Amino acid sequence: MEIEEYIPHQKYSETEKQDIFNNEFMPHIHSMYNFGYRLTLDRDDAKDLVQDTYLKAYRFIESFQKGTNAKAWLFRILKNSFINDYRKKSKEPSKVDYQEVETYYNSEEVDRQITPDLRVESLKDMIGDEISNALNSLDVDFRTVIILCDLEGFKYEEMAKILDIPIGTVRSRLHRARNLLKEKLKSYAKSMGYNNA
Amino acid sequence: MATSQNPFVQADGKKPTCMEMLQVILDGEATVEQKDYFKTHMDHCMPCYKEYNVDMAIKELLQAKCCGGNCPEGLVEQIRSKINSTTA
Repeated sequence: MEIEEYIPHQKYSETEKQDIFNNEFMPHIHSMYNFGYRLTLDRDDAKDLVQDTYLKAYRFIESFQKGTNAKAWLFRILKNSFINDYRKKSKEPSKVDYQEVETYYNSEEVDRQITPDLRVESLKDMIGDEISNALNSLDVDFRTVIILCDLEGFKYEEMAKILDIPIGTVRSRLHRARNLLKEKLKSYAKSMGYNNA
Repeated sequence: MATSQNPFVQADGKKPTCMEMLQVILDGEATVEQKDYFKTHMDHCMPCYKEYNVDMAIKELLQAKCCGGNCPEGLVEQIRSKINSTTA
């Protein structure tokens, strides 16, 4: 493991390891499973991914400093496992060049609203799976920042560490992701009969 | 409202756009002062008011529909048993 997070920084007794695992890691298992599911879009893969993540977390527990941000550390391990072990075998369509997208979105020319006319009323009628489908249909990099920010409440700095990207990139990716999500929701709203969604 | 009182203004003195202020709010990065300023700003900026309400409705919908509930039954036990077998 070349990642800095996995270099042991302290020594724990077996009791301390169990204590950290039970009290600091396990309380996040439901959020971890949801993150795994939203990344893989498959419940069995999500289960395997979460299990692998917790086993890795236990194996490298001495690189975790007791009392620090366990949730962000676990999310980072899960995200890395997903990239290394699952993303390769997934059948996702070929990727666009995100650096290009992000550079474009950092430029002043695109500081505008893509979907200014999506209405709150049309969103309130989305009581089924529309929002979940819209989220799942986003490319995984955009989906991830929405999950981390809006579902899990991580801050820019935490997201930057989890994703290994600069804070400016987190911000621009979130901006782009929100606009893409709104575009999807707007087309759902139109299909539900809101002509001026 | 004077720019000098705008808590969104960065150290370089650049005045933020409406969209930049809204993003700080949506991303959960705003300070109490920034939230208060933006609330007052929305009183006289209809596009911000509308966009804020749509964005917050999406956020609420995401939280209500995409948080996924609990992990599958047995997963916790499976993890514990794998760890016990490797440490035994």
